[in-house]
Amino acid sequence: MKDPRAMRRRQKSPVFVALLLFNLVLVLIQLWLFVSVLEDILASHFAMAIPAAVTSAVILTVNIWMLRGIDRMDANG
Amino acid sequence: MDTHVNQDFPIDWEEDHYVSRREFFKFMTLASGGLAVGSVAMAAWSKLPRNERTFEPSSIAMRTDLQPGKALAFSYPRPKDLCILVQKPDGSYVAYSRRCTHLSCPVDYQPDKDRLFCPCHNGAFSIEDGHVLQGPPPHPLPQIMLEIRGDEIWAVGVKAGEASA
Repeated sequence: MKDPRAMRRRQKSPVFVALLLFNLVLVLIQLWLFVSVLEDILASHFAMAIPAAVTSAVILTVNIWMLRGIDRMDANG
Repeated sequence: MDTHVNQDFPIDWEEDHYVSRREFFKFMTLASGGLAVGSVAMAAWSKLPRNERTFEPSSIAMRTDLQPGKALAFSYPRPKDLCILVQKPDGSYVAYSRRCTHLSCPVDYQPDKDRLFCPCHNGAFSIEDGHVLQGPPPHPLPQIMLEIRGDEIWAVGVKAGEASA
């Protein structure tokens, strides 16, 4: 007989993978923003610095929210 | 045999992978935090008033040395920092670094077009604030801050212009 806990893990797995992929995409966007703004600042263009910082902070909030969601999912079994 | 294996490796294969991926998720969120902090720090740094630098004031010319529409070369703040002082047609004075921001050729004043011109690659800068009007220069000319003290014109600092978009 299969372990019911392992079964639940298997069911949660696709959701978790989707969240992980989304997290990866968001971090890549953040990395792209960071490098672009760094290049801009070195070229004395400062206009994008604040919008990029706000976007990066929003992405971080989404990532933390997803991480807390995963923790809640684990706590609920 | 199976009992032994389960005792030595009590974590299920699926669960083991799940835990690894969850740790990876945490690591990526941590990286996301680092990038966000870096971006906010760059935004704060970009807002610092760092483009004006004062140096020891230096008398660069007498007011009688210039007429409207004429220019005069001088050095500031170091002897090797070439600059150009211009009396505009309206009588006011402006001064800029003379080094083109492209490849450091010396720029000249063109009174007929009221601009600073670099003959090396046809770059041109505005006489009003030093911004790039044409050509390959990537940045505006640094402006020399001036003060009129009696009949003398003094250079008191350098103001780096922000690049236009």
